[in-house]
Amino acid sequence: MDIGVGLSIEKDPILAAKEAFRLAKINILPGQRIDLAIVFSSIDLACTTLLKTISDSLEGAPLVGASGAAIISNKGIFKHGLIILLLGFPKGAYLNTASVKDIKAKTTIRAGEELGEKLLYGCRDTRRDLSIIFSDGLIDDSSRLIDGLQERLGRSFPLVGGSASDNLRFLRTYLYLNREVLTDACIGVLLGGGKINFGMGIKHGWKPLGKPRKVTLSKGNIVFEIDEQPAVKLYEEYLALGLSELKKQLKHISILYPLGIYLPGEDEYLLRNIVSVENNGALRFQGDVPEDSLVRLMIGTKESCLSATRQATAETKMGLYGPIFNVAKKEIKYFVLVFDSISRYMLLRREATKEVEIIKEAFGKDTPIIGLYTYGEQAPLKAINYRGRAYFHNQTITILAIGG
Amino acid sequence: MAFKESLINLIGAIGVVAVIYLVISIVLKMEKLKQFQAEVDKLKKSLDEMDEQAKLIVRTDMELNKTQEELDKKMTGLYTLQKLSRAITTTLEENQIFKMVKPDYLEDLGFEKACAFLLSEKEKVFVPQINIGYLQQDMEIIKSAPDLTDVYLSLIKNEKTISSSSLRQNILLNDKIRRIFKVNSFVISPLLPKEGNKGVLFVGTENEETLINEGDEELITILANQLGQALENARLFEKTWRAQHDLEKKVEERTRELTHVLEEVKIISKRKTDFISSVSHELRTPLTSIKGYASILLTGKLGNMPSEIKERLDKINRHSDELAHLVNDLLDIARIESGRMIMKKEALNLKGIVEEVLDLLSVQLKERQVESSFNIPEEANAILADRSQIERVFINIVGNALKFTPAQGKISIMAHKLDGAVQLDISDTGCGIPEEAQEKIFEEFYRVDNAINQEVKGTGLGLALVKHIIEAHNGKIWVKSKVGSGSTFSFTIPQAT
Repeated sequence: MDIGVGLSIEKDPILAAKEAFRLAKINILPGQRIDLAIVFSSIDLACTTLLKTISDSLEGAPLVGASGAAIISNKGIFKHGLIILLLGFPKGAYLNTASVKDIKAKTTIRAGEELGEKLLYGCRDTRRDLSIIFSDGLIDDSSRLIDGLQERLGRSFPLVGGSASDNLRFLRTYLYLNREVLTDACIGVLLGGGKINFGMGIKHGWKPLGKPRKVTLSKGNIVFEIDEQPAVKLYEEYLALGLSELKKQLKHISILYPLGIYLPGEDEYLLRNIVSVENNGALRFQGDVPEDSLVRLMIGTKESCLSATRQATAETKMGLYGPIFNVAKKEIKYFVLVFDSISRYMLLRREATKEVEIIKEAFGKDTPIIGLYTYGEQAPLKAINYRGRAYFHNQTITILAIGG
Repeated sequence: MAFKESLINLIGAIGVVAVIYLVISIVLKMEKLKQFQAEVDKLKKSLDEMDEQAKLIVRTDMELNKTQEELDKKMTGLYTLQKLSRAITTTLEENQIFKMVKPDYLEDLGFEKACAFLLSEKEKVFVPQINIGYLQQDMEIIKSAPDLTDVYLSLIKNEKTISSSSLRQNILLNDKIRRIFKVNSFVISPLLPKEGNKGVLFVGTENEETLINEGDEELITILANQLGQALENARLFEKTWRAQHDLEKKVEERTRELTHVLEEVKIISKRKTDFISSVSHELRTPLTSIKGYASILLTGKLGNMPSEIKERLDKINRHSDELAHLVNDLLDIARIESGRMIMKKEALNLKGIVEEVLDLLSVQLKERQVESSFNIPEEANAILADRSQIERVFINIVGNALKFTPAQGKISIMAHKLDGAVQLDISDTGCGIPEEAQEKIFEEFYRVDNAINQEVKGTGLGLALVKHIIEAHNGKIWVKSKVGSGSTFSFTIPQAT
């Protein structure tokens, strides 16, 4: 596999695109074909000029990507910048890219199904290994998107994804497909055939606090009652804040103290960020919260957060090296794709770069790393009861290493 | 019957026992249940207590996060301010100072919009200096907002910073500024350089969550102070630089003028040399004839002459000799000056030359009863010079010394080695040269005004010629003298290697 990563912090989209592409191209042998470009940028660079400039150099290879509050590279975290990953897959590898627009109008579950169908188009007979998806970070029931996708790709099909983010204004997030900048959309990449190895890890590090509670009335991503009380009461009680104050500080509270859903057999709770507080006291979350599930208020510390990063990194490494245990590790080329929740950035602040250091420590200091700060992550749960089924997560660091 | 009765009794007894047992066991169970209930209540209570503690933890954590966020903001702000200050204070060009306030820095301070104005003293208007985050048309609105000028002026006058927080009471003005600048929060701080025109710095953000606190106000005030200081420095520097530049220009002009004058002097000097040269030539031819005819007449070959005529002829002959001497000296000076006379430099034995010169002058020395001596050490003996010219130098200087030294006087010639040259000091015990004349004696036709000079004839060209010869040898000549206690003429001549 050929891998090249380029970073630029130029302000001008054309200059940034040219610089990052030039740097990424250095590691691709001349005459070598590029199969896929993954592009992440801060929102100030999210424009068609940027994508056109990059696409002009790609010789027809597909481009996928998303905007984020910051981008992650081997050199650190950048609030303004562009990172390009160029990939040339080994012989026999299969690759398909697809997108679905107007999610709100179609409903998320239908959009997920449509994306699944498009990804499968023309490759029903090939061995399919993995799908990577990028979605608009402001879709309010992202769980449904995965449900729809799994209807088509299979429930246990490995799926890793991230939701685009903006500069914490929660106004508009962007997705990149070839020469287009999209909103209210999702993009998928399907990988199969060929000798591609991958490993993934997903952890958040938030800990449960207080009494376990039961969701007594919910529908999809809206929780009406917890312990037969209006759901918002849980937050009002714990934080000692009135409804209006809670609404005002919601962005911060939602990120720092998410709701955790207890999953039997999993060692971590599944986290949910609040999107909005309804006037009837219901809470609208970014993902599903099933009725009767046991939930708790969650709290994170820098240390628990970083220790989760260590665990996720270790799991990724195991997954990547596991099946090819006897192969000399140096012979495989690999890259690390990171979807890092914006909440971790807000909790870790100055120490956010430690996450990159942890990854570099595990994979080697020159490992190509490309990452994005997200409003949500998609990745499989490991416990046997879940059969590797992917769920929508909040607050996690989701690491995917692909080698071949 | 009895059996039956006893059986009934037995059953009754067993029943009673069973009932008693049952009652006891129920009572015991009840007791246990009560204990369990108490246990459950206890657990429930502790769980509730723990939940209360959890609430406490969450609230504390929230406070902690808030504090940390503020601390982080402040630290980032200070760090940015430090970087900005460094950039600003090292800038010495006024129009570059504001360019140092870059959008990145501003964002780290928590703002995305900024502008700065400087008060133009002439037109009494505020002229924009930077514009971050505003379109041209926005800027036009901001520029033409009439009431703001008074706000700015009062800030400058009172040296006061205002912000959307400090103006909380003044809703009218607060809203006006927010509307004009299209922001939610802002800080305006005066720029107060001691030198030149003053101004204001505006920073603002559209972000609804940003709350301006005193810390922000302080940071922006510091930034404004730094900008003011930098403006002052730049203006002072500009002033100094301009003054220096003017001075340099003047020096340059004067130098040009002087160079021009010098060129003219050189031309005039050359003309003079040429003139002397040609006149001397013109003089020499008739002079030779005069001297020739006088000599012929004096030999008496053309008949005897009365003694009166002979006496006059003698005078003609002697004066012609002097005139010829003068003309030759003049010609030599002219030749050296114009570079037409080439010094045939060769390694010479200094001692030999001195001996020769003294030998040549021995008759006069004896006549005037002047003693002569010389000391030329071996290491100063070899010189590089034109033999005939250097002899002339010695004859002239020693001749002069002889002329001004009374009987029983002394003339000494000393030599010593310098770096690459030899210095000669010719001292006499003569009448000396007044200080004011010491420099002039090397000029052409200058003669010291004294009794001896009035009596002894001279051209006033001897020392001028000597100076020219020495200089043509890259040497220097000077004199040290005191009236009444003799003179010492010194000169340097290159050493032969």
